Parts: sequence; structure tokens; C-alpha cells
Amino acid sequence: MPVLRAHGIEASLPHGMEGRIFVRPTVAAETPYPVAHFATFPLPDETGDFGGGAVNLMGVDDLFVVLFEYGPESAGTRLFARRGMPRTLRTSDFKPYLLRRGLGGQAGTQWFFTEAGRPFTLYAVLGSLARRHALVPRVNALLAGMVVSPAPVPVEQGAAPWN
Amino acid sequence: MVALAVVLTVVVLLLGLLVAGLLRSHADILKALHDLGAGVGDPAAPGPHHDVRLLATARGATDRDGAPGLVTMGPPLPPERDTASAPAVAGVTPTGDALAVAVSGHDHPTLLAFLSSGCATCAAFWKAFEDPRRTGLPADVRLVVVTKGPEMEIPGAVRALARPGLAVVMSTEAWGDYEVPGSPFFVLVDGTTGRRVGEGVAHRFEQVTELVRRARVDARSFEMAVRDGSGHPDGPDGREGGHGGVGLDGPRREAANDQVLAAAGILPGDPSLYPRSLADVFPPAGPPGTALGTGDRG
Repeated sequence: MPVLRAHGIEASLPHGMEGRIFVRPTVAAETPYPVAHFATFPLPDETGDFGGGAVNLMGVDDLFVVLFEYGPESAGTRLFARRGMPRTLRTSDFKPYLLRRGLGGQAGTQWFFTEAGRPFTLYAVLGSLARRHALVPRVNALLAGMVVSPAPVPVEQGAAPWN
Repeated sequence: MVALAVVLTVVVLLLGLLVAGLLRSHADILKALHDLGAGVGDPAAPGPHHDVRLLATARGATDRDGAPGLVTMGPPLPPERDTASAPAVAGVTPTGDALAVAVSGHDHPTLLAFLSSGCATCAAFWKAFEDPRRTGLPADVRLVVVTKGPEMEIPGAVRALARPGLAVVMSTEAWGDYEVPGSPFFVLVDGTTGRRVGEGVAHRFEQVTELVRRARVDARSFEMAVRDGSGHPDGPDGREGGHGGVGLDGPRREAANDQVLAAAGILPGDPSLYPRSLADVFPPAGPPGTALGTGDRG
């Protein structure tokens, strides 16, 4: 089982899944945070944070899962009050109207939470709502193998790391 | 005179010691070769490494897949691995992100290019990958470059060579999974079956595109044979392209080969399986139309 590990996020990928954990390049004054994409289909080079450019390529048996980290200022707010990532999703958690981009037949779910002191959202898309009973266990298998570590302490530029 | 005799005696003694030492060293080498089964000494004598298991053939035993007549040499591969399996490639990118590429479960092939930042031959491939349209690869082939991991490669050097958008995975483990002998090396994986359908070394990208083309032609031939229900290497009606044991590997492939040999009358112990000279393998050219000796060895 391949294991992805970067930016304090670790994921053991079930068979047939691929993924990436990355931080986008900084644009202007924006501070980017880690994003993880997981899919059962080839992820395009240019995929939006929440699956733009990828979800439209999904087949009915495909999954797409995003783990998106927010800035530390979001930690402790009511939106992220839930402690810990949901590890066992139910088929009833997936709704067509929860999709960020409504595509016929698909269904999604989204959760906000704090894990290891880091605020995240989990967004998962099923290729077909009708096949949710087969697809949701595969999402749960992925979630079961994910580990989030506390964010590393940033080092100020110019300061020696041992000071 | 006495002194000369003493000196000569000492020299003779020293030379004798030297010869004895050489003989002893030679004997050690012969013994080591014999233990390795290199054919030194009596080949009929049982040795510690003469444990090639031919008994399955002799007894008509079956393996775990129920395939009869197997000859097993060396340690068995793990049950989930064989020489055509294609595991997912996972590692880090040159920018420090993590990336895993699944090469199976799709309806398109993946070309894995095992390159390094330092090899001179690889430089031409890094250059070719700068413009994906000029590679000549079919549009549905996904190109993934695999270098060794950051512990053996310099991420900055790889980053400088890889164009933006090119999928590059740094993974020493993948080099082991795919038994890569060195760079540059290319592996084509069929996404539908999740099997390696072609692999090899190339020095120019045209050779890689030819590898892809030939592998896909072969795959189509195999699919035709499967649809025909052919179990014969030349197809049910003698057409080229049939293939006994299509898509098989490991013990089942060996079993399929044995079945084909048995159908041709070549049974275990047949003298043709034990050539003693090159002439036994490649006999002199016969009259026109003779299958062997024409230079075409399949």
C-alpha cells in the first residue's frame, strides 16, 4: 500500500487510488497551506483546490477526496469546532446539493474540523450517488489511513534555526 | 661456496612456500566454484546448491494455482508480485510535495520513465519532455518520470530539469519495485490489466515511442487471441498473433508453455531441452523453407 507523506499529512492509499499532497506557490500576500487530493482516476496536472478540472473527468465508479487546510487564525472558531477528522462517513452524508460544482449523478459531502491543532475541511465527491453503497466504504478506507501531525513551527526568515 | 649454497637453499624454500600458497588458493577457488554449482568437479555429485526443484515435473505435481509440471528455481516471489506486476508509484516531488500515481484501474497506458539528473543519456529525454507534443507519444499515454528518492538524488537538480506540469516522482522504492537496472529505463503499463506490457532501455525517444507502438500492437494481438479462445501460440487457424497463456505470468505462464511444448511432443527429458552445443540450438541452414536456420528466431 503506497504511503504519501508531506507537510504533516500522511495517507496510506488503498489499491487503485492516487494522490498528491502539496502547497501551492505563494501569490502576492497570500499564505498557502497544504492541500491533499486523492482520486481513483488520473489527477490532471492542473486541478483546482476543490477539484475544478478533475471532477468533470470522473466516471460513475470514481472518487475524489480533498483535505484542505486553513490558516491557524481559523483554529478555535465555531466553524472548526469539531474535534478530529470524520473517519466513518455514511451513505446518507452524501447529497447532490452539497457539491461545489453540481454535475449530474454525482454527490458530495463536506466537513470542517480541527485535527492536531490544524483547521481543515474534508470534501469528498462520489462519481455516482446511485453507487454510494459501493463507493462510500472506499472513502472510509482512505480516511482510516490518514494521519495529521501538528504543524511544524515556522522559522523566521533570516533567523538561524538554532536561535 | 657454502654461502651460495645456503642462499640457494633459502630461495628454493621460499619458492616452494609460494607454490604451496598458490596451490592452496587455487583449491579454495575451485571449492567455492563447486559450491556455487559452476560445473567444477562431478556434476552428478549432490552439493549444497543442487536443490533445483525438478520433482514437480517428474511427479506431475501441481502448484498453488493448480498448474502442473512446474520447475521452480530460486526463492519464490511474494504472492502479490511477479515480473509483470505494476505497483503504484509513490514518493515526493522535486519541490517537496508528495505524489502517488496509480498505474492500474484506468483505460489508458502509463509510461514510466526512470531517469536520473546526472546521466548524460538522460539529458536528451529531459529535453524531449519539455514539449510533450513533440514526444510522439499517443495522446492517451500518461507520462510519469521516476527518479531515485531525495536520499540518492538532488531535488534541486531534478527540479531544474523538469518542466512545470511534468509528473515527476522521486522514489527509490519504485526503482526496486520495477527492477530497474539503470537509467534511462522505460516501462509501459497497461492500465486496464495493471500489467507491464513493455520495458527496456532506450537512448533516443524515438526508440521509446517504438516500444510503445509495438507493445500496443502486441496487446491488441493478445486481445484478439483471447476473443478467439485460442490456446495455441499461432492462433486457432495458424495465424500469427495467437498466444497461449495470454496475459499470464509466473507459474501459470510456465505451465502454459509446458502445455504447448507437450502438445508439440516435447516432454520432460526431451533431448532438445538439453542442448550440448550451439549447433543443437541453431542448426546449420537447411533448404529454403526450413523453419530453423533462417535467421528468424522468433
